[in-house]
Amino acid sequence: MFQISELVNRDASLISRRCWTDQGVYELEKRGIFGRAWLFLGHESQIRQPGDFVQAYMCETPIILSRGQDLQVHANINSCSHRGLPVCRADHGNTRRFICPYHNWSYSVEGELVTIPQESALGTKPDKSALGLKRVPRVESWRGLIFGSFDPGIIPLEEYLGDMRFYLDAFLERFPEGIEFMGAPHRWLLDANWKLPVENQLGDVNHGAFLHSAIIPREAQDLIEQLGYSVVTRPGHGATFRLMPEDAPVDEVAWGMEGMGGMFGSPEVQDYLREVQARAVERVGPLRARMKGLTYGIYPNLSFLWSNASFKVSHPRGPGKVEYWSWAVVPADAPDTVKRVLRTNYSSFFGPGGILEQEDSEVWVQQFKGSNIDFADDRPCFYGLGLGEEAPHPDLPGLVSVTANEFYARHFFARWRDDLQAVEGSV
Amino acid sequence: MSSAAAITSPDQQRALEAFYYREARLLDNRQYRQWLELVNEDIRYLLPARVNVQVDNRQSGNEHMISVERELEGADSMGCPVREESYMHLLLRVERAYKINSWSENPPARTRRIVGNVELMARAGDEYSVLSNFHLHYARPGSGSFLYSGQRRDLLLDVGVGYKLRQREVILDYADIALPTLGLLF
Repeated sequence: MFQISELVNRDASLISRRCWTDQGVYELEKRGIFGRAWLFLGHESQIRQPGDFVQAYMCETPIILSRGQDLQVHANINSCSHRGLPVCRADHGNTRRFICPYHNWSYSVEGELVTIPQESALGTKPDKSALGLKRVPRVESWRGLIFGSFDPGIIPLEEYLGDMRFYLDAFLERFPEGIEFMGAPHRWLLDANWKLPVENQLGDVNHGAFLHSAIIPREAQDLIEQLGYSVVTRPGHGATFRLMPEDAPVDEVAWGMEGMGGMFGSPEVQDYLREVQARAVERVGPLRARMKGLTYGIYPNLSFLWSNASFKVSHPRGPGKVEYWSWAVVPADAPDTVKRVLRTNYSSFFGPGGILEQEDSEVWVQQFKGSNIDFADDRPCFYGLGLGEEAPHPDLPGLVSVTANEFYARHFFARWRDDLQAVEGSV
Repeated sequence: MSSAAAITSPDQQRALEAFYYREARLLDNRQYRQWLELVNEDIRYLLPARVNVQVDNRQSGNEHMISVERELEGADSMGCPVREESYMHLLLRVERAYKINSWSENPPARTRRIVGNVELMARAGDEYSVLSNFHLHYARPGSGSFLYSGQRRDLLLDVGVGYKLRQREVILDYADIALPTLGLLF
């Protein structure tokens, strides 16, 4: 076992390969990060009606996220109190009861134990009130985004999101009724560590010109980099975006226009997008009205892609496997016909069949391979590009720099190191 | 979906199968541009998402309870299909294959597909509705081998000298995807 201080140096410009591959490090991540942080569970649009539920994960722990008969959001561990089986077997649905297949113990949507079929034959009656599904101790929601934490003493979600709310609102508040998630997440397994997709979509804009050059023309990438900003907000969140010139034509600024659906959709779609942009100043203010996002990351494992309209969660499945989930997101107030077109802004280039993301998936697998080797522990990966070049900005919260600066990854790993050190040695 | 296939002649059946064999050969030989010539420019190329759905207790005893259709989030749904593509998407994919920086296929994967169970389901004018199944073996350099299993629901256009593909809906037999990419030409 390594000391965590040996894996990430002081300024986080050198990252040991063991961070992605070591089983002991992974066990520390479970306790130091996934046991203590706010973790994304789902969006309120997925569970509108009483009885609605979706599955979620907090690291490898299966969670049922549901809307109770009390209209509240509930999050419980999907494991029967009797023999431990999952009591919910569907990805999503609407139900009155979750029933364990083994002995038919049944639970309400809120997670209370309702029936023990065997008890009628027995003299003693177990105390059902103590045998409900295990609740996630903290569940909070902000702008429809629902998070849970296993740490009962964690700071409130809004405080945790901190300055990142400024950047999230540039998108979420752009639409009069916010956003909604379309359908079930696409879920696929990759032979990679969970932090690799996260790092990529936290701020790695600059791989575009190289990894994706079969699809992204150099001129398009140059424009992204010229107008691009990279921002890190505490604690370990990040955003990259473009600030379009004040006189830029509406079609160049409006969200959704640069995706396949926006570009080749019907006039109805384009008119809808122009209308949203026409109200952007009033809704999110003049600065954020000309913001055109790229990548966002919420520590530890939630990502958002602006143009490719997707929320993504990187669920660990051991140090060398990740189950990647992604959802198409669309404005909640758009007509169904417009939503169906806008979802292709995501699926054309991202997701398990996406033209761009197939390349990303490949390099995450390859980076894991390159990390899972011997005799290179004296050669940590170099994360030092742009070291110290980030600085505060008069209008943009957080630390700000150009997109080529890798400070987003350094701040992520500095936070990661601190979280692991906080539980190191306390087995 | 109707359970009965349409009546077809042996010649008609052979012609349909010959079309699919040729298509499979072109794709496995990486002759994607020739394959694209078999595609009509108004094509819709669809790959519905497939989900693990809740069994509907009220449908107990009925075929519908476990129907495949319930598991699909297709183009008409308010879910999100994995792929909903036009000719332009397919052109991008085909041209990408011949660029040196298409890294997930450099070096290229080896594929071999067996297409069978070809059934003409309906005919309306010059348009044929045809089902076929495939098993596609995919071996990526430096990685493992994978089996893609699925059904293709096609609309073929009879253009006199053969067929053109006007719509393809690929029903993959997975909800939990343990495959390196769903971006292949199935």
